[in-house]
Amino acid sequence: MILQMTNVKKAFGRHEVLKGIDLTLNKGKVLVIIGPSGSGKSTLLRCMNLLETPTDGQLSLGGVSLDFAGGRKSAKNAVLEIRKRTGMVFQSYNLFPHRTVLENIIEGPVIVQRKPVEVAKLRAIELLRKVGLADKADAYPHQLSGGQQQRVGIARAVAMDPELLLFDEPTSALDPELVGEVLKVIRELAAEGMTMAVVTHEMKFAGEVADQVVFMDNGLIVESGSPDQVLKRPANERTRMFLSRLTDTK
Amino acid sequence: MSDQSTRLWNIFVDSFLPLLKAGVLFTIPLTLISFALGLIVALLTALARLSDIRVLSGIARFYVWIFRGTPLLVQLFIIFFGLAHVGIIIDPFPAAVIGFTLNVGAYNSEVIRAAILSVHKGQWEAGFSLGMTRMQALRRIVLPQAARVAVPPLSNSFISLVKDTSLAASIALTELFGKAQQFTATYYEPLLLYTEAALIYLMFSTVLSFLQARLERRFDRYSAR
Ligand SMILES: Nc1ncnc2c1ncn2[C@@H]1O[C@H](COP(=O)(O)OP(=O)(O)OP(=O)(O)O)[C@@H](O)[C@H]1O
Ligand SMILES: [Mg+2]
Repeated sequence: MILQMTNVKKAFGRHEVLKGIDLTLNKGKVLVIIGPSGSGKSTLLRCMNLLETPTDGQLSLGGVSLDFAGGRKSAKNAVLEIRKRTGMVFQSYNLFPHRTVLENIIEGPVIVQRKPVEVAKLRAIELLRKVGLADKADAYPHQLSGGQQQRVGIARAVAMDPELLLFDEPTSALDPELVGEVLKVIRELAAEGMTMAVVTHEMKFAGEVADQVVFMDNGLIVESGSPDQVLKRPANERTRMFLSRLTDTK
Repeated sequence: MSDQSTRLWNIFVDSFLPLLKAGVLFTIPLTLISFALGLIVALLTALARLSDIRVLSGIARFYVWIFRGTPLLVQLFIIFFGLAHVGIIIDPFPAAVIGFTLNVGAYNSEVIRAAILSVHKGQWEAGFSLGMTRMQALRRIVLPQAARVAVPPLSNSFISLVKDTSLAASIALTELFGKAQQFTATYYEPLLLYTEAALIYLMFSTVLSFLQARLERRFDRYSAR
């Protein structure tokens, strides 16, 4: 088991956004998180790498366990350890604009993992080839299309060899014709056995890559199961309504 | 009439090199040293103000409040004459460096703070998600982007400082303007000598503006989103 969350809660001030999340994710599996806007999907994902600190519950990731009961603060080292073991791909890419594509990718391995620059570069070039951007190594992010930037974002996260890769709506900021190239890269990672948690509104893609789908509403996991169960034969009324509204607008 | 112009010309020639020398020996070093030290003070103050530690941000806010809210000339008088009166005697040059450093540090801390805040939160998060500490994310990710925003206002403050150093004449430092005052006392030609001093200041700040433009171009390699 790579990730285990037990009764995880998160409140911003008095506003409780996560109301007790229980979740486990096994090695090599893909978890897809769906749900209406404001239901807490991003917050849940951001609790997994502690960009948000849970206000209650337990989180265990790759052997590092943290207890947040009673608003307890966690040791800095444990937080860093969890962040090193996870990678994150952001909706708005968040590439470093002052660094070239290659420099973006080697930043983590060189600064955080203290790999020799040459070693990191070789790996970065290999990853760029994998995401189809071998010729863009020396470009700056603003010279790339959104789809290209997001593929660099994925390469940057993968370069850290994370045990768990997190995606927060990786294609939502993209023009429709660029979505495919990014989803293709994510599918390939899934096929290689990368453990992933993905927030997405791309239901077709979700059905293809997910081993497990959770539907969130109002800070809770309302329904959880295989993609067939949750996406095709949802048991819960709210899940059904959410999915039918999605197909209506398509 | 022609006698008078010859006299003025001679005063100009006699005074030009000593004035320039006072500028090169005092005005420029005073500016460079104070600005460099001021930048360090400004960065530390900006970080203190952005810190979660209440005491630290409180001290920083207090310091900025004092030094931005009181006249620079009065600050210099307190450091030089005021402290001397209670037995803390500081030579004019170091006294001026202390005064200008603290003053420019207070102003520039606000510039740097605003520049750091202008960097999108997602940049910090991208750094953190790679496992960076706050310090690593600050140094590697945020400060380089903040620098780009801060360079134009910092350059302005630098050029202001070149001119403000003339205030040091009033605490017995014979920098460029002080030297012009001395010549005026000898020759009674205030219009000529002060205009001459102004020209030399203009020369200095023009060269510096030119360097500023080059620095800004260097920071423009990548463009903001
Ligand atoms: N930093 C924050 N401070 C205060 N409230 C927040 C913060 N971040 C999120 N929230 C609130 O938490 C709730 C859940 O937000 P979250 O971003 O997790 O939803 P989401 O499911 O990802 O929505 P979307 O599909 O729109 O991205 C929202 O009501 C939001 O306003
Ligand atoms: Mg979201």
